[in-house]
Amino acid sequence: MDRRKFLKQSSLASSLFMVPSFVRAFEQVASSKLGYKRLVIIQLSGGNDGLNTVIPYRNDLYYKERPTLGIAKNEILKLNDDVGLNPALEPLKRLYDKGYLSIINNVGYPNPVRSHFRSMDIWQTATDSNKFSQSGWVGRYLDNYGKQPHSAIEVDESLSLAMKGENFNAIATQDAKSFYNLSKDPYFKNIRNHKNDAHLNEHNLGYLYKSMIAAESSAKYIFEKSKTVSSKKEYPNNKFGKQMKTTAQFINSNLETKVFYTSLGGFDTHVNQINTQKRLLDIYANSVEAFVQDLKDNDTFKDTLILTFSEFGRRVKQNASVGTDHGTANNVFVIGENLKKQGLYNNMASLSDLDDNGDLKFEIDFRTIYATVLDKWLEVDDEKVLNKSFKQLDFI
Amino acid sequence: MKSNNIQHLYRRIGFGILPIELEKLSKKSKKDVVNSLFKSSKKTTKLEVDTSEIKDLFSGSMMMSGSKLDTETRRKIQKISREKQIELNVAWIDRLTNSQEILREKMTLFWANHFVCEDNSINYIQQFNNTLRKHALGNFKDFVNAVSKEAAMTKYLNTKQNKKQKPNENFARELMELFTLGVGHYTEEDIKESAKAFTGYSHNLQGEFVFRNRQHDDSEKTFFAKTGNFSGEDIIDIILEQKQCANYICGKLYRYFVNDVIDETHVNAMANVFYKDYNIENLMRFMLTSDWFYDDKNIGSKIKSPIEFLVGLKTMVPTEFSNPKQLLYIQKLLGQTLLDPPNVAGWKGGKNWIDSNTIVLRLKLPSLILNGAYISKVKDGYEDAQMEEKKELFKKKFGKRFKTKVNWTYFNTQFKNVEIDEFQNHLLACEINESAKAYLQSLEKVSKQEYCIQLMSLPEYQMC
Repeated sequence: MDRRKFLKQSSLASSLFMVPSFVRAFEQVASSKLGYKRLVIIQLSGGNDGLNTVIPYRNDLYYKERPTLGIAKNEILKLNDDVGLNPALEPLKRLYDKGYLSIINNVGYPNPVRSHFRSMDIWQTATDSNKFSQSGWVGRYLDNYGKQPHSAIEVDESLSLAMKGENFNAIATQDAKSFYNLSKDPYFKNIRNHKNDAHLNEHNLGYLYKSMIAAESSAKYIFEKSKTVSSKKEYPNNKFGKQMKTTAQFINSNLETKVFYTSLGGFDTHVNQINTQKRLLDIYANSVEAFVQDLKDNDTFKDTLILTFSEFGRRVKQNASVGTDHGTANNVFVIGENLKKQGLYNNMASLSDLDDNGDLKFEIDFRTIYATVLDKWLEVDDEKVLNKSFKQLDFI
Repeated sequence: MKSNNIQHLYRRIGFGILPIELEKLSKKSKKDVVNSLFKSSKKTTKLEVDTSEIKDLFSGSMMMSGSKLDTETRRKIQKISREKQIELNVAWIDRLTNSQEILREKMTLFWANHFVCEDNSINYIQQFNNTLRKHALGNFKDFVNAVSKEAAMTKYLNTKQNKKQKPNENFARELMELFTLGVGHYTEEDIKESAKAFTGYSHNLQGEFVFRNRQHDDSEKTFFAKTGNFSGEDIIDIILEQKQCANYICGKLYRYFVNDVIDETHVNAMANVFYKDYNIENLMRFMLTSDWFYDDKNIGSKIKSPIEFLVGLKTMVPTEFSNPKQLLYIQKLLGQTLLDPPNVAGWKGGKNWIDSNTIVLRLKLPSLILNGAYISKVKDGYEDAQMEEKKELFKKKFGKRFKTKVNWTYFNTQFKNVEIDEFQNHLLACEINESAKAYLQSLEKVSKQEYCIQLMSLPEYQMC
């Protein structure tokens, strides 16, 4: 959506105040009945080792390639006769047992890039690996379908490229109160006069004034709406736990936000991987379990879909420092209440048919997952957002 | 030369101009002012941080174990390199604020978002940065060739992995798409063929260019309807023969230095000058002496980049950050960290700098770092008895986040002979919007410092 259209829509929204109250009451009922679908994206930065996350414990090649890094059979949380989870993922196993988890294996893209920056860039912009884009996929969703800056929120200090569109950006906030405080200096209110706003043109200065007004109203909206709810749930006491808690608070207070973006870093485990990865997966799984419970307590889980990805998986063969180097395909977790395909979505990657670097050959293009989520969950035209048509999957 | 034209010139080729210098220049002719800009940028002063620690580690380790670095040394080098990148970032900001070679520095900043590159080796990226500086006003053909042979670039766009048996098209593609011609002015076949010409491009540990003959594909290549055993240099020659290359570069320079909205006539005129010999200095001289450069529609019409905003603030009111990491933190929040571009396409710029987060921060930042977060709202004829206490309170509360030493004495000396009613002509590039003007008029002008902060806290201050 271009700026002009956006402004038209928001002035339409404000004219809603003129609509008879019974109509608005009806709309409220409708929206709470029909549900307001939200997507939560969790980015595991640094390249999580997928093979020690979802483990093919019956595959001899796994233990052969990872003699000191492979996780012993008796420690593994078994999902079936062949596949199990890292022991740190006990909370995730509980979600799996309830049918809330779908594991999509062997997700990647053609001509994989093993640089963190570049591969993350590819996941965030959803481009081919030899193309570059200055806008992210959620950002382009906002370009076309966003109504307000807070239509998508990154629960962090600044925005990832994923959240920046061609003409429209999401909002970043991890602390609604301090963002609101920063924006509400009366000086800024006084330098503009509502009556004059209509005369602000589309040129750069007018754009600045409009952005200022939109930011202030979003900051106020997020703060005032979200402060009505406080979470009683215990979350792990770390940055990621706080991010998930804030996200739950935003969702449970019924913020009109379609997409939330969070991240957990530190997965670049070249050296002594086992304990580092366990610690991180433990943070991840406990935070996500608390989050799901928090949403369930508020009856919002049924309308929330959680997508977890990492920019790449790691090499099949362990390195000399009991760690792993950058690899290619990886697993993606989809968490939600009414999944069409629960459990393992597809088979594990082959450990014998590897590429020249000794890395997995991907089976599912990550953009087919985006396309599915856009079309079936957010109910928008995925092709408009991804600039390309992808076949869809069957997990929701 | 007219004062407002000098100010416009300096906001675009630098980060603003202070009253004393402006007074001096206003006695000169336009030609002299522009000439002196080029004259003071004749020299190139390298930007360097001390990396001897890394070089020592390198040579020490090499003597011990031959050609490969051991893991521990490699880790140590990576750690120091990360710290040195912060140092280089801060030194660059400092350079932009204080350089005599201001035009060359502004051009370097422009080229850094044209030939976009990043690398975690401090030595390579520092060398790359100085290559940008060296050629910033030189010949574009030499420039493209130099960039194609930079260690950081052969790593960043995988020319290093581009071998006869296994070509990698990354550099060839971006060379045409981003560096010279723009999307749609070449074919996929052109990319494939030219990639072959760049096979064998590599570098040694010291970051010097190395041509690996055995990896070079010396077969015949067909490129833009010409066939021959082309080298990388030949390919660049052929690209520059396309008028489109001059058009593309001039369009980009126009958007950066003149106006976000292209004026075809002016860009064509620039391209005609540039196409003759690809001399960047001549092109810039043509642009800066053209009457249209000073057209009303071009003055105060651009949104400052985060770096223009930050360095502009520091130029008006000298400010030191006690902890250099805070300076990086601010760049990150504003959406432009030097040496850390989003990807090879660079920062989009223009309206794209502005979103809900950055506009709020930009409006608040001048008061945050220069004035204890205080923006005076005292009504005309009154005073705020608690002003100093409020500033102190803030310092206690947020002092750790933004610990700055601000040199208001310098500012006051510079503005000594400027009437307070004249301030907006020095601090703002465009007219103040009516309602803001009315509000400002209802307020007391407590002091030059407080009025300066009030002006810097306007959306108008974001324009240049």
